[in-house]
Order: sequence, then structure tokens, then C-alpha cells
Amino acid sequence: MRALRIFTAAAALLAGLLPLTAAAHKESDSYLTLSPDPANAQVLKGQWDIALRDLDFAIGIDANRDGAITWGEVKAQRGAIERYALQRLVIKGDGLSCELQPVGQMASEHTDGAYDVIMFNAVCDKEIPNRLTVIYHLFEDLDPYHRGIVTIHAAGQTIGAVLGPTGSSASLDLRQPDRWLQFKSFVIDGVWHIWTGPDHLLFILSLLLPAVLMRRQGPLQPGEHVWSGSRWQPVNSLGPALWELIKVVSAFTLSHSVTLSLSVLGIVSLPSRLVESGIALSVIVAALNNIYPVVTNRVWLVAFAFGFIHGLGFASALAGLQLPPMAMLASLGGFNVGVEIGQESVVLPLIPLAYLVRRTRFYRIGVLRWGSLLIVAVASLWLVERIFDILIPGLGFLTPN
Amino acid sequence: MIRKLLLCLMLLAGRCFAAPGEAYIPAGDDVVLQQVPTAVDPRVRQFAVLRAQWQKNPDHVEQATALSIAYLDYARGTGDARYLGRAAAVIDPWLKRAPPPLAAMLIDATILQSRHLFNESKAELIEVLGRDRDNAQAWLTLATVAQVQGDMDTSRYACAHLIGGSDALVAGACLGALNAVTGHPHEGYQTIQTLLRAEPLEAPAIQSWAQGLLADAALYSGDDAQAEAHYRSALQLSPGDNFLLADYADFLLDHQRPQEAADLLKDYTQSDTSFLRLCMAEQMLHLPQAAADIAQMGSRFAATDQRGSYLYRREEALFALSVQRDAAGALDLAQQNWTVQKAPQDARILLQAALFADQPAAAQAVLDFIDRTGLREPQVDQLAAEVRRAMQAGAPAVRGAAR
Repeated sequence: MRALRIFTAAAALLAGLLPLTAAAHKESDSYLTLSPDPANAQVLKGQWDIALRDLDFAIGIDANRDGAITWGEVKAQRGAIERYALQRLVIKGDGLSCELQPVGQMASEHTDGAYDVIMFNAVCDKEIPNRLTVIYHLFEDLDPYHRGIVTIHAAGQTIGAVLGPTGSSASLDLRQPDRWLQFKSFVIDGVWHIWTGPDHLLFILSLLLPAVLMRRQGPLQPGEHVWSGSRWQPVNSLGPALWELIKVVSAFTLSHSVTLSLSVLGIVSLPSRLVESGIALSVIVAALNNIYPVVTNRVWLVAFAFGFIHGLGFASALAGLQLPPMAMLASLGGFNVGVEIGQESVVLPLIPLAYLVRRTRFYRIGVLRWGSLLIVAVASLWLVERIFDILIPGLGFLTPN
Repeated sequence: MIRKLLLCLMLLAGRCFAAPGEAYIPAGDDVVLQQVPTAVDPRVRQFAVLRAQWQKNPDHVEQATALSIAYLDYARGTGDARYLGRAAAVIDPWLKRAPPPLAAMLIDATILQSRHLFNESKAELIEVLGRDRDNAQAWLTLATVAQVQGDMDTSRYACAHLIGGSDALVAGACLGALNAVTGHPHEGYQTIQTLLRAEPLEAPAIQSWAQGLLADAALYSGDDAQAEAHYRSALQLSPGDNFLLADYADFLLDHQRPQEAADLLKDYTQSDTSFLRLCMAEQMLHLPQAAADIAQMGSRFAATDQRGSYLYRREEALFALSVQRDAAGALDLAQQNWTVQKAPQDARILLQAALFADQPAAAQAVLDFIDRTGLREPQVDQLAAEVRRAMQAGAPAVRGAAR
């Protein structure tokens, strides 16, 4: 046993564990430079120089294996290089991920050899982020001594960081936050979030469709089903309908603001699958209530209760937002205002319209009953999609972003 | 920071802080941008085989260590630090296990040592020896690390554990090398030479290593002709070995043979240690390309500084002193280097830098070290005597002392 162990030690020696003095080449680095695009405030221009030797080791560039990497071989691997590298880099503006879009390929020479240059745009969600974060994972599984040397030019200053496996991210403030600009840009975000998110709209719509009608109480009349249109009586004036609208929308706003804020501030956190499924369920419940009414008087309570879960859904648009407290307040406030504007812009024109046609069979049966049924159908498909985390073909156009 | 600024001023280039080279579109698809190792090199063919075995058996530590050692061996031979990182990446998952396999820890200790993280390397080796008291590999590496740090007692203790093991030459070379730097170079030389003659069938890597140690021992005992012969045989056994090239080139430059040094190194410009000696040779020969190559060497050091690596303090000090003639910068670097490693070359560069900067007292630590360890080496002896004289006289030293 002892002889065997000593043999192993000797074999290791022969194989190359003799003490080394020191390495004599620079270790592996990449050079990443970011600077704002003067033409587009949402875009950062990126240049990322990665050593061809490292890329060849990672994904193979020397196609004919002759030991000489030509420009033609580098060009042929452009797509593979961009996929490999850009997947291992995250750039965030104010905590929101920016999309990395390759726009060109070049070459460069550094002290230790030739590099591939990825020219790319980092397209950020927000205009001119205040705080930029770079998260770097290139080659961390292939060479723990690889470093990303990051240089950021912004607002007349140049800031640098050296990133690697033990310190893979760096954040820096590009400028003082402009709260008014921030507020405005988040208002627009909020409006778009509602306009492009049919689930929130369908929920509000389901609650408001009956606002121009009144549910007649009392026992069923002969030949009358609980879902019969005849049990819905038109309101006599626009006043109560608008009052209903104000109550529903305000209750919804109040509760979703609470959870939106708590979620963005990181105080409350639920899995997005649960939140999204809950939102779909809320749409089903709201629409079913128009067909088989359970709650008729205090619809605003339904809006209030489900508003909490919708607020968590809004927060997904701002997930990871990192701002100083006052800027955070401006952004959250702006986003809430935007959500309100988005909602009002849809329901405000709708209520007078509904009021005008409230007496018709078309409205009571066609819109209220069949419309609600359609909403139940669509929301049920969403629920299935979200619970099982699948995509139903053909539902894409109705899928909230 | 000041040194970096000085370097920037010296380079007169705006790239000291922002690194990217000018991006360009090469003139045509046939333009060769980069040479990479090919399968013509048997070591590269071996990588492919070992890599495939490793990927097939991810749960076998033997496959991981075999691949890792192959990378390490390549890093040693060529000086290409990228392969150190690749070697580290392969054993990394094994080091995260509790307890890590000894073989993986030994590789890690060797990597730490080559990255000049001597204390970390030592700690890991002591851990290995705690689990396996008779691990010859761990004792040998510990002896080397301790010797480089100037901890001769630990080094001697570690070498002693190799005696009676399977490899008499390795044990003898360990003690011989230690004797060579503690004032007994002649005895050290004899020990290694006797054992090397007794074991002619040793692997070329071990023989070459022993020849390098013989060259050093001969040099320290003042026998330059012997030293040169051993450098040559060592290089014959492992052609292109990065460390042998640097040592032999230093020998040639010391003996005012810059043309031979330039001829020796002209094909190894990728290695920073070789390229530095080439720059020194070109400067001595007043060659027209010297200026451009020296600027390039400065850029290389700037690039390593930028990533936060301080592995090359000895080389940077040598560059500042011999090429740039920057007394303050060289002294600063040589002092930083001395806190990390204490080989005869490190003693020498600090003595030279202190003399050149007219601050002989700055080399007091080296004088104390010589008194403590008994280090004898002709160049060091001479410089130490000059430093002592300068300190006694309290007068500026002779500037010609530095190479």
C-alpha cells in the first residue's frame, strides 16, 4: 500500500507537478467599453474585445485546425461568438435589464494577441439610466483567473472596474437622477403596461359592464333563470353609473398601488407563476359574476380585493428596479399614475357608450352575457397556460406581455 | 498609482486606463490574426484525449487531475498563464467537495505557488500533509515555497521528509538546491550531480529540472563555465522551457553577450519574461527595434497592472532599473517584490535598485537576510559589499553598480 502511494506521488512528479516559478504571460482578459449613444438616450454603445485564443478554447474558431486563425474563420463564427459572449453578460439600467443587440464585428490587437471585437447596443428600458450595473460571467467556468476589464464613459467621466468570478458585478452612477424626467418616463411605462396587458383591462371591464344596469332583487319570476337578462334593469341616470365607476377604479387603484410598491421595494415577493395565475383567476371570477351574480352591490370590494394581486403583476414590469429613495418614489408614483391614465383612457369613453345602449337586448344579452362568457373563456385559457407554464397556439395575440 | 502614471507618461500613449486597442476590419479573409496551439504539438493532442476522458467520466477525480496536470505542464513549459487558469477550472469542482481529494489540493497548491500566493499554497500543503503525512509531492512543493519565501528551516524540514522515499534524485535535488542558496553551493552541486549520475534513466522533465538546479549551484559557487554547460544541457532536455530561457539569458547578459541572448530568445517573444530579456539585449546592442519593443514591453506591464495582477514585480523592477533607468520606480518595485519572494535574483535586484537610487539603507532587509541564511552568490556578494560601504560612508553610492 505504502509502495503504491509513493509510486503515485512519483508519477505525479513525472507528469508535471514540479514546482513552478511563475507564469510569464499575461493571464486572460477581455475589455468591455460602454458609452452612451448621443443619438438615442435609451442606448449604450458597447465594444467588447475578447481574445481569439480564449474564444478558440471555448467554442473553437480555428476551423481547419492549422494553428492559424484567419479573419475569415473569425467572421464565420460571428453568430456563435456573439451568442456565447452576450449570454454571459448582463447590463442593467437602474436595475432593469437592457437588451444586448450585436451590431458589428471587428478585430483588435492587444499586448497579448489578436481579439475579436463585438460591437453591440445595450438597449435599456428606461431613458438614460442613472445607475448602470454590469454583471460578468464570461469564461468563469473555463478560467477562474479570467478578468473582464470594464470601462464606462458617461457624462464626461470615465469609470473602470475589473470583474471576475469572485466579484462579478459592478454598479456605478452615471449621473444625478432627474426626478421629473424619471416620473414622466414611468408614467408612459405605466400607460403602456395597461394598454399591452389585456388581463388587467378585461378585469376592470368585467367589473364595469354591469355599472349601467341594476340587478333586480327578489325571487325569480316564472320562466326566469338566475342568469336571465331580464333581471338586469337599466339605471335611470348616468350619475349612479359614473359613481360606480369611480368606486371600482379607486378601490382597484388603492389596493394595486399598495402591493406594487411593496413588491418593487422588495418587501413582498411571490412567484410570478402564482401571481399571473391569480390574475387570470380574478378575470374569470369578475366575468362569471356578470353571468351568475354573487356580488351585485359592492363590486368595488371585488376590485379592491383582487387589486392586490394585480399590483404584484404590475411590479413584474419593474422587477429589480434599483434607485435612490426619492427617485424610487418618483418612479413608482409615475408608474401608478400611468396605470391610472391607461385604465381611464379605456373605461371613460366606454361608460357613456354603454349608458346609451343599456336598454337594448344587445347590451344585456349580447355584451353582458356573451361578452362575459367570452372573457371567461379567454381567461380560462390564460389560467391553464400560466398554471402549467405552457403556451397555447393561437392565443399569442391575446397574451399579455 | 504613481508608477502607473509614470508608465503612462513613458508610453506617451492614451491607453493606460482605457484598454481596448483600436478596432479595425482586417484587409481580407486570409489575414492571419492569431496563432494557436495545433495538434502537431503532441501536448495539444494529449489535451484532446484527456479532455474527452474527463468529459466522459465527470465523477472520476483521476480524469480531472490528469487533464489539469497536462494543462499545468504546458503552462510550465511555455509560461502561458492561460493554461494555469484552465488547469484550475478543471479541479475547481473537486475543491468544493468536503474533504477535497488530495490530488486536487496538490494541483491547487502548485497553481497558488505559481501565482505567488505562497502563504495560501503553504496552508493548503500543510492541510494535505495533515491528512497524508508521507505525501512526497506535498513535501517537495512545501520545500520550494518555503525556500522562495526565505524560510530555510521549514524548507530543510520538508526536504528531509523526502529522504528514503521512492526518488533519491528528487530528495537530493531538494536539499542540494537549499544548500546552494544557504552558502554551500559547492556541496549542493555535488549532491545533485552525484545523484543525477546514479540515475541516468530519470524522466527528461526531472533531469532538466536537476540540470537547471546544477546550473544555479555552479553559478553561485562562481563556476560560470559549468553553469553555462548545465543551462545548455537543461535546454536540450526541455527546449523552449520558459524559465530556463530566462535564467540562461540573464547569464548571457551578465557576461556581456547580448547577441547570443537575442538569438536565444528571438522565437519566444510571446513570453513576457523572454521578451523582457530580449528588450534588454536589444538595448545593449543598440538595435533599431529596441525602442518599439521597449514600448511594447511597457504596454504589457501596464496591461497586467490594469487587471490587478502583481506576479511580475521582479521583472517589472528589472525593466524599470535596466531599461528605463527609473531609480525610484525600480526601488519601489524591488521592495514590493522582496516582501513576496526572496530568491537570490530578488536579493540582487533590491541591492542594485537601492544603490542606483542612492538609498543603500533601503536594502537593509537583504543584508539581514544574507546574515541570517548565509546566502553566497558572486553578484550578490559584490553588491552587498557595495551597499555596506555606501551605508558606512553615508555618501551616495556609485551609480555604475546597477546593470
